[in-house]
This record gives sequence, structure tokens and C-alpha cells, in this order.
Amino acid sequence: MRIFENTDFDFIGNRRKAYVVSGILLLLSIGSLLVRGLEVGIDFQGGMEFVVASPIELEPVAVRGELAAVLGSEPEVKTFGAGQILIRTPAEGDISEMQNRIVEGVSEAFPGSSPEVVKTDVVGPRFAEDLKQGAIWAILGGLLVVFVYILLRFEWRFGVGAVAALFHDVTITLGIFSLGAGVLPFSLQIDQAIIAAFLTIVGYSLNDTVVVFDRIREYSNLFKTETYDKLVNRSINNTLSRTIVTSGTTLLVVAVLFIFGGEVLRGFAFGLILGVTIGTYSSVFVASPVVVELRTRMKAARR
Amino acid sequence: MQGNGFKIGLVVFFFALSAWYLYPSARNYFIQQRIDGMEQQEREEYERENLQRIRNVKEDALKLGLDLQGGMHVTMEVRTDALIRELATDVDQTFEEVLAAARATADETGNSIIDAFAMEFERRDPNARLSRYFRDSDAGITRRSTNGDVSQYLLGQADNAIDRAISIIRDRVDRYGVTEPSIQKQGTRRVVVELPGIDDPERVRNLLKGTARLEFHLMAEPEELARALQQTIAWYDTQVDTADAAMAETADTTAAPADTPAAADTSAVADLFEEVLDQPTNPLLAVMQPAGQGVEFGLVSEQDTARVRELLSAPAVQDFLPVGVDLLYDANPAGATEEGLEMYYLLGVRDQVELSGEVITSARVDFDELNLPEVTMVMNSEGSRTWARLTGANVNKNIAIVLDGVVYSYPTVINRIVGGRSSITGLGSRDEAQDIVTVLMSGALPAPVDIVEERTVGPSLGQASIRAGFISVMVGLGLVALFMIFYYRTAGLVADLALLFNIIFIFGILAAFQATLTLPGIAGIVLTIGMAVDANVLIFERIREERGTGKTLKAAIDAGYSKAFSAIFDANVTTFFVGAILYSFGVGPIQGFAVTLMAGILSSLFTAIIVSRIVFDYMVVKRRMNVSYG
Repeated sequence: MRIFENTDFDFIGNRRKAYVVSGILLLLSIGSLLVRGLEVGIDFQGGMEFVVASPIELEPVAVRGELAAVLGSEPEVKTFGAGQILIRTPAEGDISEMQNRIVEGVSEAFPGSSPEVVKTDVVGPRFAEDLKQGAIWAILGGLLVVFVYILLRFEWRFGVGAVAALFHDVTITLGIFSLGAGVLPFSLQIDQAIIAAFLTIVGYSLNDTVVVFDRIREYSNLFKTETYDKLVNRSINNTLSRTIVTSGTTLLVVAVLFIFGGEVLRGFAFGLILGVTIGTYSSVFVASPVVVELRTRMKAARR
Repeated sequence: MQGNGFKIGLVVFFFALSAWYLYPSARNYFIQQRIDGMEQQEREEYERENLQRIRNVKEDALKLGLDLQGGMHVTMEVRTDALIRELATDVDQTFEEVLAAARATADETGNSIIDAFAMEFERRDPNARLSRYFRDSDAGITRRSTNGDVSQYLLGQADNAIDRAISIIRDRVDRYGVTEPSIQKQGTRRVVVELPGIDDPERVRNLLKGTARLEFHLMAEPEELARALQQTIAWYDTQVDTADAAMAETADTTAAPADTPAAADTSAVADLFEEVLDQPTNPLLAVMQPAGQGVEFGLVSEQDTARVRELLSAPAVQDFLPVGVDLLYDANPAGATEEGLEMYYLLGVRDQVELSGEVITSARVDFDELNLPEVTMVMNSEGSRTWARLTGANVNKNIAIVLDGVVYSYPTVINRIVGGRSSITGLGSRDEAQDIVTVLMSGALPAPVDIVEERTVGPSLGQASIRAGFISVMVGLGLVALFMIFYYRTAGLVADLALLFNIIFIFGILAAFQATLTLPGIAGIVLTIGMAVDANVLIFERIREERGTGKTLKAAIDAGYSKAFSAIFDANVTTFFVGAILYSFGVGPIQGFAVTLMAGILSSLFTAIIVSRIVFDYMVVKRRMNVSYG
């Protein structure tokens, strides 16, 4: 079967339309990040989380109300998959005591609920600070290493193009996390797993971009008379089939993870779905056009 | 076709290597299956007979992370501030202030509290010497030591403390009996404890943090305690007059909202007011029944302990108490209120430690005449002598046995006790007795430890995660495999074969490096399945292109493999770097993800380039088949 064989779409010619699309998405994302911010998980700000399983359906709003009286302050309560709720409190006091108060509070308020704590996550504020530092270093380190690698293997314009695409991808993914928090029916908290997902997106987006760049590099030596626009366009078109197939299979498996991977992995899988989609788009519509812009503008400037 | 002999050899070699490393995992699986299918008695017998074998197989099998098998991951931190106070002698007001300031600075900046302590101390008085608090002739710290020397000494002690804490914690975990625990130092101040299959996290927390500070104290003289009680009650009586007016006023304003249903959760407060209003006696008597005979001070219900502590800590009340006497709670309830709340005695205990837990040489769980658990202890010779002297000098008086600030028993001494025997009674359960023995025998921690991170996953959730992970791998694999056949026909089938080898190699690599399989790790494998076919996709697309230019099948395959290589290489190296960075900065489950991601990249590069090539060469060159690339 062949879907995108010998295509001749004018990607570069239409790049300004793509700029508009990306520009709107970026503005929306940055706007939401500034206004709504991100829902930060306990990994990076500290807190206690208890996942409570019960044979009866527990209503988060009702549980929150009941626990507010027992705990003295209102905890965050959310559904966490079928028959489970997640209760989040600040990391103050003794873990055992907090857990006992929650279990007793829920079982007294909801007869027959026989609550059972199936998962506990506690992160102290100082430890959270350390995890945050680690995450920041991981992201900076990741970006630096891939940038240096692209610089070594390709010319600098490609490095700029690749990094522009990465910022584009991560910003929009973060933006959607910010917009979707509390709206979508699963957790979009920024925790360690999400940082891992973001770095994977970085790797994936780059992977896609590099394949196109590799073709541009190859054609630069082959079709020396062609204009740079045409050359890049030809490269994108000739790798398009591969881009679509690989994105397709990757999207397939991350969708499988999202559906079958369980509640613990849902946010992580969602991040990957967004990343793969946006990463594929950006390798065609952001990374390569940036290279073209840099090249043509610099030439014009030199004249 | 030249060189394929080597390639085939390589594939066979790696396959054999993977099989070798995965063999224990497979055996472990089948043994567990067999055990699970057995009856209780048969199972115990089988496990006893094959104990060593089961253990060995398990040791070499691919390990599951705590998020999959259920268990507890705890990070603990030794409290350096408490250690500094512990090491100091002649602690005064200045010392406490400097320590508090240093703690605040250290929390804020993340720097060492010892440095902050020394700096704060010198900032207050550049000429003051830290050596006035710290003396340790063994370490050469005397009155004349410089502040630098003392700081150095404290740093050394802090390092020492963490190492001692680790060995003590390891001892406790071993005594508790966890299979395959892992206890590791993290950085300079933290300990990471991983305990698979824990069913009682609360007990483990207490065990890990437990100080088990066992002390023997003399108790207050009954007459002076009774006098103090009378004075305290009288003092609160005088306070009532002024408090009454204020209380009445508050009651008026709260009366109206208290009637509305919305104020249901404030009913406890309302109750309290009512109680006070009904019998407008005395705030202390509202929450404590006075005792005043013997060493008992008062009787308090479990929900009022904090309130009573607050009332009794008033400076005036502290002055009424006999010098050198503290009020501590009894560990055993002395009765119950009408609502079923347990009541505890508040006891007058002298603060002088007569004998401490260090003299205990052995301790074990026993049962008394009523079949209640108790801990019986034997002391060393020095402890025995002191104990004999202490009991001999206090016949017909009480001695309090205090554990972590709570009085477990305060028997009346009948005779002088020789032989250094004593016991802790009044324990709630056998487990509690066992844990006290564990902590006593492992020794006291050098300083209190805080749990700074804990992640506990119950076995049921772990099972659910394994199932979810397994289904994801299978469905992902199936869908990708079908798609490849659908899109690339014969070539897709070859790519699927490469994918199968890929999965085997990934698990082989994980087993070989003794990596732990976590849920994010499984996610990494699923992701790899999707991305692994990429290399083959790149090659196949290239072969299609080359065929399009009119090349023969063989020439097109050659060109496809060689021209696609640079793209495959560059694309994978970058992802591999990301994996490496995740591995070095991430912790726990994230490292699991990074490991499978890196393993997946290595093995997919190998299988997509080598395995598929061997098959194509065989089909095209040897069998002269016409391979379809869809």
C-alpha cells in the first residue's frame, strides 16, 4: 500500500499559513500558561496523596466536604479510575495519622464504603525542591546535548531550526496541559513522569526533524542547481511517507497506552499523544521552514 | 551476501545471550505458577524443600519495581539540627536561638545546617567559641579548639550519623523480615529504603523512624504532686472569672449560626461551649478529672490530650510543679468515657534518667499470666548493678518505664532486683511488642530521622498495573505488526520478525543489566515498539524510491540500507542522549523508563538493520524470491 508516494505538496510555499497556525497555538499556550498556569503535582511542591479504593462509588465533592471537617482544611479530591478516588493534602504532620483520619472519615461518612488505601505518595517540601532542581537540570541538559549534537552533525541553521521546533512542541504541549487541567477527565498534573514524557517528546520531535534534515543534506549535494526552497520542499515530500507511517505507528502505541495503560500512566500517555502529533507537524512546518528562512534571509542580507 | 555469516553469528550470539539471561525469569514464572496452583499445606512443604532453589531463581530473575509488585519506597533524612543539639553540652538560650536561625537559613538556601550554624554563631559574636558547647576528647575537641575545628568535627559526626543510621535501619528491616529489601545511601544525608510486599505501612514507618528511647525514671512524691494539683486547679479557678465573661459573650454570637444546619461541622465547638456553660467551673477540670493520689495527676480522654498539654504548659502552672518533675501520659487506658473514648492517666515522673536502654543486652517478646504480650529485657552487668541499687533504694515506691516519652508501666518496687531483669508491659499487641524488641535490639538512632518521601503501592494496584502493562504491550505489538504487514506486505512481515527479536533483546538487556521493570519502564517498551519499526520504515521507503528509479531489487535493497543509515543513526542517537539524561537526573520509576528507552534504541537499531537484512538477503539472493515492499 502506498499513501504518500511521490507527493508534491508545496510546504515551503505555504509556510506562512503554517506560521499563522503555529503562532495562534503558541499565543494561546503562552497566554494560558501565564493566566491559568500549570497544575503542579506533589513531586514538585510537596504534599501527600492517597488513592482510596472502595466497592461503592464515592463522589469527590461529597468526600471533600466530609474530609474538610475531619482534617480541618479542604483536601483536593478527584476520581482516579473506576471505583477509586485520589485525595491530596499538604505534607504536614504524620503520614500514618493523616491516612487513618482519612480512612476513618470516609468510612464513617459513607457507610459500606470500606475504604482501602491502595497507593500513597508523600513528598516533603525540601525533597520536592530537590526533585524540581533535578527536573530543571534534566530539561536544560537534554536541550543542550541535542543542540550540540545537531550542531556537530549538521550546519548551525539546522540546529536553530531543530531547537525552534522543540520549543514550539514543548510550549504547545504545556499550553494544552494548562488549558485542559480540570477540564479533561484525567490528571494533567506536572510530575516526574510528565517531565519524562516531555523529554521523550524532545527526542521524538528531533528524530522526525533529523530525518528531513538528513534528506536536505543529501539533496544539497545532488541537486546543486535547484533553489533552496524547492530542494527543501522536495526533501519534505520524499520523506513524507515515512513521516506519516512512523508517526502513525507511534501514535498507535501511545493511544494504546492511553487506553489500556491504566490511570497511573494516563497523563503521561496523553502528553506523548500530544507530543507525537505536534512533533510531526513541527518537523514539516516549523523546523524546515526556519532553515529556509535563515538561509534565504542571510543570502539577501549579504547582497 | 559476504559477511552474512558473521551477521548471522552475531544474531545467534545475542539471541543465546538473551535466552541465557531470561532463563531464570522464565523459571521463576513457572515456579510461581506452580506454587500458586498448590494447596496451602502442599505449598508450604514445597517451599521448604526448595527454599534455596526458589531463592536463587528469584535472585537472577528480572526484577519488578515496587509500583508493579507492591511495596514501600521511603526516603529518610537524618535531622542534623537534632544531632547538633544531641552532641552539645551546656545548652543555653543563645544556642537554641542560633540553632533555630541556622535551621531557617538551611531550609531556605539548601546549604548545610552545620555551616549555617557556625556562621550564625560567629555573626552574633565574632569572639565566641563553639567549643564551649562541644567537647569530645576522643575527637580532640577541647575548650581550646577553634570554631573551624568544631565545624569540622560536627561535619564528621553528621557523616558518621548517617552511616550508623543506615546500619541500624538495615538491622531493623532484617529483623522485621522483608524479602529482598534494599537500603541505600543517597547523597550525604539521605537513606532510601525499598521494601517489597509491605501490608502494614504504618508499622513500618514507626519501625524505621522509631527512636525507642527506653528510660527508667523515679516518680514524683505523692504529697508534692497532690499539692501541685490543688494549686493548679485553684489557679484556673481564678482564671475562670475573667474567662467567663469573655466566654459568655462569644457564646451569644455563636448561638444563632449554631442552629442552622450549615454549621454541622462546628457542632464540636458548640458542644464544648455547652459543656463549659453547663458547669462554668474551670477550663482544666472540663477536660481533666483530677486524681491526686499516688503518682497520678489526672485522667484525660484521648481527644483532650492536646488541650490539657496546652493548659498545663502555662508558665504559672509549670511553677507549681515540683522541681525536676514532668507530667507524662500512661500508655494504657485506665477506663473509658460514656462515649467510648479511652481515658489515660497523666503521671508525675522525675526527669532525671536513672538508667537508659543502652544497658539492655537482650530483649524478647513474652506473655504474662493473662496471656498479654510483654517485652522482657536483660541488662549488662553495669546496668544490673544500677538497677539493683535503684530498686533497693526505692522499695515501696514506683519506678516508671518510659519509652519515647510515654510511660508503659510504673510498677511498685517490692524487693531489690538483682540480675538486671525488667519488663515492659501494657503493650497493645504482639506486633507492637515485637517492634519494640526490634528497635531496642538494633539500638537507638543517632538522631531523629524524617521521612521526606514515601511511595507505597498496594499489591492489588500493582497487579492491576502489571495487567494493564501486559495488555498495552500485547495490543501495541499486535496493532503495529498488523499495520506493517498491511502496508509493506512481505517486507512488513520481515519487519515484524525483527520487532519480535527486538522485544526479546530488550528484555534480555534488562535482565543482563539487572534493571528493574517499572510501569513507566513498560510504557517505554510500548513506545519503543512504535518507534522501533521506524528504522525499517526508513529503509523500506528508501527501497521503494530506489525501485522507482529503475534499479533491480537487489540493487535497490543495497542502496536502501546504505542510504537510510545516516538518517537512522542521527535520529536514534539524539533519542538515546535524551534517555541517558533522563537516567542520570531521574529517580526510581523514571530511571526505569529511561533504561527501557535506551535498551529499546540499541536493540531496535540492531534488529532493524541486521536481522531484517539477513532475511532479505536470504530471500532475494539465495532463493531469488520477489519480495514485495507493498
